[in-house]
Amino acid sequence: MSRGIRSDAGASSPAIGIGYRAAIGDWTRDHLDRFDVLEITVDHCIYNGGSQRSAIFDLVDRIPLTAHGVALSIGTDVPLDLAYLDQVAAVVERLKAPAYSEHLAFTRAPGRDLANLLPLPKTAAVAESIIAKVRTVQSRVQVPFLLENITYVFEWPDSKMSDAEFLNLICRETGAGLLLDIENLFLNSRNHGFDPWEFLDALPAGLVQEVHMAGGVSVSEDFLERPMLADTHSHPIPAETLDLLERVLARHTPSAIILERDDRLDAVEEILDDVARIRTRVEKVQTEQSYGEASAGSPN
Amino acid sequence: MAKRLLDRQIRLLEYLTSGAAIFGGNPATMPDRTLHGIDRRLLDLEARFSYAKRMEKIAAVYPKTIAMLGRNQTAIFEDFVAACPPSDLSRLANARQFYDFLLTRWQSKPPRPRYLREVAACELACAEVRVTAQEDGPGGLPGPSAVRRGDIRRRAGVVLLRCSYDIKAIFEERPGRGSPARRSTSLAVAMPPGTHDPCVFEVEPAVFDLLGALDEWTDPIGLGIAPELDDLIRELADHGLVEVRG
Repeated sequence: MSRGIRSDAGASSPAIGIGYRAAIGDWTRDHLDRFDVLEITVDHCIYNGGSQRSAIFDLVDRIPLTAHGVALSIGTDVPLDLAYLDQVAAVVERLKAPAYSEHLAFTRAPGRDLANLLPLPKTAAVAESIIAKVRTVQSRVQVPFLLENITYVFEWPDSKMSDAEFLNLICRETGAGLLLDIENLFLNSRNHGFDPWEFLDALPAGLVQEVHMAGGVSVSEDFLERPMLADTHSHPIPAETLDLLERVLARHTPSAIILERDDRLDAVEEILDDVARIRTRVEKVQTEQSYGEASAGSPN
Repeated sequence: MAKRLLDRQIRLLEYLTSGAAIFGGNPATMPDRTLHGIDRRLLDLEARFSYAKRMEKIAAVYPKTIAMLGRNQTAIFEDFVAACPPSDLSRLANARQFYDFLLTRWQSKPPRPRYLREVAACELACAEVRVTAQEDGPGGLPGPSAVRRGDIRRRAGVVLLRCSYDIKAIFEERPGRGSPARRSTSLAVAMPPGTHDPCVFEVEPAVFDLLGALDEWTDPIGLGIAPELDDLIRELADHGLVEVRG
């Protein structure tokens, strides 16, 4: 099996799948034919060990796998943990993953590990530090490195750039790709009042190399003017997020679209339904593109 | 990146993991001045989200213990937050932190019911076994050259617990059970081969001692001549408690 991931549907068709979760590991193995790819969280291989790790490695060569991380904390203002990166590199190699992705965020500081993704001040100085760290990652993990946009509750007051400007700067300087979490984009645009379509238009064509999709809940608080959307990975994908996916596919050719689900995992029919909804949107865009190409090529 | 960012990150995490941010209460406990300009209400919301995720991990390991804490839960959780800030992302690390916190607390305030300490220990053992259970089947890994075919050792990850109460019934989910009787029991927690869930076995005290002694590959002949020994080893291997060098 080659390291490149694509759907059987064609060379430019993204592979569609889910993030592997041990809680539905048996179900996932019984339904491999419903997915083109599985995303493996490398930290599950590093920290969980035992039977869970062997269950993951048993998937190698049965279905294409891509690698995702949650524990790098690239934004913590300390040097990267090189021993951890070497463990990641070994897992990525064993998974035969074509890429490794992590969040543009920080989760810990000396003495505390929140295990929750927090935003960084979007400044040139912070970008410069991240650029150096991305280069370190690229030097130790021998597959393309992708950065993922996160969702955030609060912003640092000294942020000077938009989300898109910050991501673009880091990706441009390092050659890193973007794992675009479209649900995060949708949530941030609603919670912080910006236009998600403008965000997408600001990304250079081809930057998005993988996509995350998910669905969450809304949280009401007395002090909030309107409910805040939370990225809980617990419910079906909102229609607005699927609309944004179509826009992404018009300008980018991601190799994989991954549905993330971490809660209400027993609602497996919802998972399969969401995968089918993604496929429908992908096919719609491809049909439109084919029609457009045919029209452009016609003598009239 | 200026050093000041690390300082701000440290102060931010200190605030987000504080009882003031998670549970509210003392308005005098404002975020550090390095966090000025960030809406405190949003920080508190972030703190509650993060706390909920952490407690989800802990509750997944201790469903029975937490249910038995009853109405003391809230006060216990608040004390836990104050005493034990999160220091690791993994479920098991957080579960161990909670267990150590409970043990310390119970030294001065014995738990009610009394057997709760053992229930918590057994739930933690199940979580540890789930993580540390050995990947390969019995005898699957090549051993040192001194190891001979037929040698045995305790399977990696098996947890042994001596209990004063008969808590095993609590883990068997038998309907209509009452409080466990006070009875000395020897438990072994293991992941039987081919399964994905830990099992709690009650073993004879002599078998418990035997398992405790089998840290290294051992020639079973050295354990004494017993006609039932082969059957016993086979049974222990079937239950994932020992492995036999093939």
